[in-house]
Amino acid sequence: MSKHDITLNVNGKKYELTVNSNELLLNVLRDKLFLTGSKYGCGIAECGACTILKDDESYFACMVPAVAADGWNITTVEGLADGDKLNPVQQAFIDNSAIQCGFCVPGMVVTSTALLRENPDPDEDFVKDYLRGNFCRCTGYVAMVKSVLDAASKMKEAK
Amino acid sequence: MTTRILATEFDYLKPATLEEALKILSEKENVRILAGGTDVIVKMKVAGMTCDYLMDVKGIDSLDYAKLDDDGVFHIGALAKLSHLEKNPIVAERYPALKEAFHLMASISVRNMATMVGNICNASPVADSVVPCICYNAILTLASVRGQRTVPIEKFFLAPGVTVMEKDEMLIDVALPQPEANSGAAFIKKTRVRPDIAKISVGVRVVRDGDKANFCRIAMGAIAATPAYLEATSALVIGKKVTPELIAEVAAHAAAAIHPIDDNRTTAEYRVAIAEVLTKDALTEAWRNAGGEL
Amino acid sequence: MSVIGKNTPRIDGPAKVSGKQQYASDIIIPGMMYAVTLRSPYPHAEILSIDTSEAEAMGAVCLTYEDIIPVIYNERSVSVPAATYRDRTVLPKKARHIGEPIAAVAADTEELAYKAMQALKVEYKVLDAVYEPEEAMKDGAPQLYDKIYFGDEEVIVKNNIGVVRNIDEGDSVGGFARADRIFEEDFELPRIYHCQLETKGCVAAPDTEGGITVWATAQSIHGNRQLLAQTLGLPLSKVNVKKITLGGGFGSSIQVNTVTPICAALAMKARRPVKLLSAREEDFYSHHKYPSKFHVRIGVTNDGVITAAHVKALIDFGAHQIQPMSFMGCVAGWFASLYKYEGNIKFDGVAVYTNKTPCCAMQGYGNPQINFAIESMVDIICNEMGFDPIQFRLKNYRGTGEEFWGQGPTIRSIIKSCGVEESLVEGSKLMEEWATRGKPEDKHGDILTGVGLARGFHCSGTAGPKEGEVIDYSSALVKVNEDGSIDCVTPVMDHGGGTWDALAKILTEVFKVPLNMVGLSPADTKNTGYDVCTHATRGVYCGGAAVYNAAVKCRDKLLEFAGRVMDEHPCHLEIVENEELGQGFIQVKGFPQKGRTIGEVAKIAQINSWGTAMYAESFRQKNCPPCFTTHFVKVAVNTRTGEITIPKVVIYGDCGVAMNPDLLYGQLIGSFNRGLGYVLYENLPHDERTGKLKNNGLLVDYKMPTAVEMPKAENVIVRHAHTYEPTGPFGAKGIGEAALASVQAAIANAIYNATGIRFTKLPITPEIMLKALQEKGLAHK
Repeated sequence: MSKHDITLNVNGKKYELTVNSNELLLNVLRDKLFLTGSKYGCGIAECGACTILKDDESYFACMVPAVAADGWNITTVEGLADGDKLNPVQQAFIDNSAIQCGFCVPGMVVTSTALLRENPDPDEDFVKDYLRGNFCRCTGYVAMVKSVLDAASKMKEAK
Repeated sequence: MTTRILATEFDYLKPATLEEALKILSEKENVRILAGGTDVIVKMKVAGMTCDYLMDVKGIDSLDYAKLDDDGVFHIGALAKLSHLEKNPIVAERYPALKEAFHLMASISVRNMATMVGNICNASPVADSVVPCICYNAILTLASVRGQRTVPIEKFFLAPGVTVMEKDEMLIDVALPQPEANSGAAFIKKTRVRPDIAKISVGVRVVRDGDKANFCRIAMGAIAATPAYLEATSALVIGKKVTPELIAEVAAHAAAAIHPIDDNRTTAEYRVAIAEVLTKDALTEAWRNAGGEL
Repeated sequence: MSVIGKNTPRIDGPAKVSGKQQYASDIIIPGMMYAVTLRSPYPHAEILSIDTSEAEAMGAVCLTYEDIIPVIYNERSVSVPAATYRDRTVLPKKARHIGEPIAAVAADTEELAYKAMQALKVEYKVLDAVYEPEEAMKDGAPQLYDKIYFGDEEVIVKNNIGVVRNIDEGDSVGGFARADRIFEEDFELPRIYHCQLETKGCVAAPDTEGGITVWATAQSIHGNRQLLAQTLGLPLSKVNVKKITLGGGFGSSIQVNTVTPICAALAMKARRPVKLLSAREEDFYSHHKYPSKFHVRIGVTNDGVITAAHVKALIDFGAHQIQPMSFMGCVAGWFASLYKYEGNIKFDGVAVYTNKTPCCAMQGYGNPQINFAIESMVDIICNEMGFDPIQFRLKNYRGTGEEFWGQGPTIRSIIKSCGVEESLVEGSKLMEEWATRGKPEDKHGDILTGVGLARGFHCSGTAGPKEGEVIDYSSALVKVNEDGSIDCVTPVMDHGGGTWDALAKILTEVFKVPLNMVGLSPADTKNTGYDVCTHATRGVYCGGAAVYNAAVKCRDKLLEFAGRVMDEHPCHLEIVENEELGQGFIQVKGFPQKGRTIGEVAKIAQINSWGTAMYAESFRQKNCPPCFTTHFVKVAVNTRTGEITIPKVVIYGDCGVAMNPDLLYGQLIGSFNRGLGYVLYENLPHDERTGKLKNNGLLVDYKMPTAVEMPKAENVIVRHAHTYEPTGPFGAKGIGEAALASVQAAIANAIYNATGIRFTKLPITPEIMLKALQEKGLAHK
């Protein structure tokens, strides 16, 4: 098994660390960088609890050997807000009561943030389809979908 | 089996060029290729897949493309991501059945990570991108230190997870010929819930000559050990006037031609039953997309 | 302005959207080891020996049967011991289902722990296994147990029958004799899985005083503490379980999770903190919803009166008892409380051991199961006899003034608030298609649509006027700080439904302070009195009542201080809201001229050494009121593919006063989504040769409805009934589990209305639907 010195750019901060070839990015984020917002839910790319952004695209951190993420620009849920100022999606999830147990919420807001970067003017079907890889057992999704649409319209107003 | 960690141990290699990668494949034993990782990592976690070397090919920039060549053939490189292909205007215009297949695959995050070539090399009988590729007469290019060779996609698969690729070979390019004028295609997939592997998928492409079809390819996923080109069923369409009656006959033939199995997603019986319904729908849609009337 | 009944943003919202909310699985302690369990690959096998030497040579700490105190327990401790069967230990000498933990190892990394786990050498004696209850009851079938315990009594298990429960009230023979028609059907509901997103896990940290601190996925910190003290052989004072946010419960953590005592024992052995988190495929083998088979008989007169009902239940509960006894009592109670049956009911239940994953509560504790049967029967009766489904229900249902069984036969109270009529009548108007739904035989085409109705309920807690089989009380400490803000320490758990927000609102209402002046303090088992568990939809009604009562007594003490400050008798004083001052204002009732803020009074009390206005108590409710739900569902059945979609649903909930309507709607919509899964998608078939789950514990082959499968947002119409529960804190009762009860039958009844096909077995997959359509000649190509 090989060991590797890697650099991860996470939430605008540069981390240099040494990892074994079989360490997963999700576990490195959680256990070595203490960024526990990204969650383990299934480990096989089925639930979306570990969703992060690589640049502007959503990725599943449970599917990535950390060594393969050397040099990546990563945003985790902890990096979405500007200090205490939540991003529009995060705020909309609160405003629309889209949160219950909250365990899926980090992945959900990360995916939704990517969604709005890709399509700032989505309709309901687009949102539902885009969120289909993020599993939530609590809410039934309706309030989450409304939250994303609400965030989209608030962002448009702000422009 | 554990989905929390990668329990298997391996050396990680990251070649920067194709030559370097092919050299590794020719010299080392038990090498697995990591591109998007969405199949290989899952298999390592749950299916007992092991390797001595995990070769990350994402550093080979020359394989990251989706472009037309001078002859109008569309080439998709080994690193082209599914979500990028889904948004590619040439795919949308020329290969709409393929675009539909991409869109229906897994989730946005998986499509951001996964490559089309990875989906093909995974050699699942269900592979969504393969079915339309059969319809579009895709040609695969395999490279090794010994040189390159091409294989029509329908000849690529031998069994689940098994292809004609030698262990020192890498699939580097998928070539999609320019569809003829008056050609139309369709792809339909049935799943349990939207983000899912297909219970069955059907792809159809026809080329119309007046009220007749002079070309037809019908392919199906999840009905045999490999994605299947239903050659005999397709032949029923060629040279014929396309009518609702012909479509019904072809659909019945397709259902009779397949011998699927029961699995976790559905039953053999259901697959046969909706193979007929979906063939009918896909052929109808493809014919209409080709400008045909019914 | 009062925040009761108003939408207010969740208090934990900012933490949850920013990834800062800590769950048990997020706890990291310096020097912590990671643990992995070895799970039985056999459904039934004696463990002859476990050789740990190789694993230990790798630096791992190992835990096997040899290391544990062989306390025999039941993971679920909400029933009184005398009504609890006990059959398990922390680690077993005999594996009774695939995936049962049989050893555990801890090491510096999870990778190393896994490697060490693989190096354990186990010698098994593989035994024959049995998977179906009918087979398990046969003479000569493989026996899972020789003996178990009921309370302190030893019980010999015969034919794998774990529990028999028969209940007979009124005169069912006479009732059936009076009926003009008797309807009879069999119903079958599958095993399904909670799939709470946070897999079960635990972090345990031994301290230097011989004690241990534990963070676990738990619906009850005190239940965890009591079992851990027993299995570790420690005084309760040495075991502290911390309250921490739970990533989804649905009943999966009412009982102490199987991994928790293992993790704690491993930590004590290692003398280091240990984290043990289940992989999803392990979690899939840890607990399931009870699969249930019912035979139902109902007698009806020609004028639409139900005269008697008889339910026979056969329950496969898997390899361990997590209270199938109280489960069956509850099934009987839900059944008995749905309609009046002229008081003539009979229930015969048998629950059987099989070599499968143990079953536990999952949102409804038998209610969704039996409700599917009874509400399908009602639909059958109305269709066959030509009764209006709403009028028939109104004629026969148990409403205000009737007796309701809150948790089986021993926990009963009189219904004091009831929104059933409003829900049925107003709901039918909101589902415009209800009036024009037509009959199945009149429908044609590739897509058949239909509308179905069902009603249901659940208890709000399990605290009847008389104590019965089930323990029910909560505790709270409330104090007024010297600036008028309020602290509250309570062990009551919130699984995401909004219980904690409701508790905070109760405090604001007692002390007339804004929401941001109220805080729930970190709590653990050392600094709180007992709370049984957040289960049985009791969080707001029972937990909230404890907070309310502690708050009221704390307020009384504060008013006594205020009396001294203001030269008044406390009986003349009241606290009123004062938005300007931003906190409660104490005045002579009706006269604001002379007054003090609650903060001023608390401060004066402090500097005069009178003391702190605080009160701690434990409190038991004395009712178990039903919260009601009604579902009108529209379905569309594709006769070519058998696919079923839901274009529209109307959901009515009756939770008394809704503390936060948005959170109530979230419960109702989320439950509809889970019901959709139960009816159309979810099942956990086993491989009869190996005993393995056919999905191998992987989500790839356990599909639940996603955002895409839900109706359009505008077609998810949710309302709540206008009721006030006189015994609840500020009129509130529960809603959580009720929200699922009637989903199943409503969908199945709608499918009947669309196709004329009656499904009495779930799930109704496209495969099953298409086959039924083919048999009826309705399938199109």
